[in-house]
Amino acid sequence: MLLAAATAPLAVACTTPPPAPPPRDPLADLVEAARADAALATAAGAPETAAARTRHADKLQAEVDRATPKVPGTSPSPTPAPTSSPAPPANPTREALITALQAAQKQAGDLATTVPTHRAGLVASVSAGCASLLEALS
Amino acid sequence: MSVEAVQDALAAEHAAVWTYGLVSAFVDQQAAAVADGATAHRARRDTTERWLRDKGAQPKPPAPAYLPPQPVDSAASAIAALIAVETDACVAWRGVVERTDDQELRKSALDALTTSAIRATRWRKTAGITPLSIALPGTADG
Repeated sequence: MLLAAATAPLAVACTTPPPAPPPRDPLADLVEAARADAALATAAGAPETAAARTRHADKLQAEVDRATPKVPGTSPSPTPAPTSSPAPPANPTREALITALQAAQKQAGDLATTVPTHRAGLVASVSAGCASLLEALS
Repeated sequence: MSVEAVQDALAAEHAAVWTYGLVSAFVDQQAAAVADGATAHRARRDTTERWLRDKGAQPKPPAPAYLPPQPVDSAASAIAALIAVETDACVAWRGVVERTDDQELRKSALDALTTSAIRATRWRKTAGITPLSIALPGTADG
């Protein structure tokens, strides 16, 4: 009786269709912003900013990958390879870069107060890092 | 857990307040910026002590003195000491961010981390240290 009760949910689980893909990781938005900023900074002639935002993207992507559940039989996360660069920025000026960094600081700062503790440190450092980049450019 | 992290942050603020006082004699050119930093850290120290008392904790007192990375006897060593305390403050406040679920505390810890990162960057600029910026303030490798 006990055994039957214990195995029943398993049987159900086996016959249900594969689970829907996991919801989009909120950190994925930060990865995208960081990669876009890195491309913009490169085009605007700010290599230090480009290097820092690339580091942000790599660290954040590593956390996204770590947290993405591995479903057997499916390909790993559909995120693009880190080497693929986004479309070239339309307006690669210093002003555009400053505006983008201000937005990135706020985007990560807002997320830093709501993400679980194990992610909060990284996200907060990314936000503070954008503030540091802005000060360096000022 | 967060009380302990906040006590560590308070210790970093005590060290910053002490160091900003120590260097003031060596940084004529930067007197206004030094005064700003000193005021900011005193305010942060006071609000941090208040937070701890509100939680029923006894705020840690300051140490009698703090050891700068190198003896402060010039403008250059004074700026180095300021970079060191701001960098330490970044580490301590990031430690608070990742040890609390209290949104208000996280927000104020993020603010402290951010302002220390900005001030550290400003002093790095003054000293001509490259890179000027700190990519990941509060982490060991910046």
